[in-house]
Amino acid sequence: MRPDSINLAVFVHVLGAMVLVGGLVTAAAAALIGWSDEAAGLRRFSYRTLLIVAFPGWIVMFAGALWSESKEKLENADLAWLGIGHIAAEGGGLLLIIALILGGIGQRKSRGDDVNGLVKASSIIATFLVAVYVVAIWAMGAKPT
Amino acid sequence: MLAFHLLAAFSIASALVLFSVMVYSGRRMTTLEETRMLFRIGPIGGILIGAGIGLVFLFGVILAFSDDRFDIWDGWIIAGIILWAAFAAVGQRTGKYYTDLQKLTEQDGNEAEVLARLRAPTGALLHLATVGLFVLILLDMIFKPGA
Repeated sequence: MRPDSINLAVFVHVLGAMVLVGGLVTAAAAALIGWSDEAAGLRRFSYRTLLIVAFPGWIVMFAGALWSESKEKLENADLAWLGIGHIAAEGGGLLLIIALILGGIGQRKSRGDDVNGLVKASSIIATFLVAVYVVAIWAMGAKPT
Repeated sequence: MLAFHLLAAFSIASALVLFSVMVYSGRRMTTLEETRMLFRIGPIGGILIGAGIGLVFLFGVILAFSDDRFDIWDGWIIAGIILWAAFAAVGQRTGKYYTDLQKLTEQDGNEAEVLARLRAPTGALLHLATVGLFVLILLDMIFKPGA
């Protein structure tokens, strides 16, 4: 059982992670459903969700992770589940930023309802990130050694 | 088992985020065509929340029986089950409101009526109550009051 002093940090971490994963799932679903649409509505919806929901969720998740790690004094711990968490948080964050940049450039370059390769690349990264975070959630629960 | 319980909880959370984005975007829709486009992603949320609600309860109960640190009659677990039931009931009402609206949209219903229902506070408040109950469950699961 965790001490209560750590619970608030864990709550912030989990809430941020839920918003992040939810934002990624929403963005990926909209992008995949609207993949071959002539109209760009769902692709724009996907990008906006990535920017307005998933990215702030990542910031809260990461801040909560660092906070709970310092509260539990795990900064120098050599634990497999913590390593998986770090890879997912930091690597996933980097990929999310790349997806946002690609999608942003793609949105600017696209004319009207024209499908843009950069926007599609951004959607593929978002879908890949959903898989990455499913593994991370499993690791946080199963705590493999 | 905790990993599966967590994955099921994240499945519900993902659906709630998806529905929140839909509720927020729905209030800004201006045409029936835009609304139809928005409703196309709804079934993904339906699958996630349908599977998540059942599995989170199943894995939670198995966890309570199999883990020596917890008992099914612990106060915070009973509170969690009551909140879960309330969440399912309010969520079902929210789902019915938006499913009816989706049917109206697909049957080429009156555009003004569809947009008015999307902007009406009923659906948004029901959804807010569903999200609020989920956050309460999350607080209960993390803080485990009385444990």
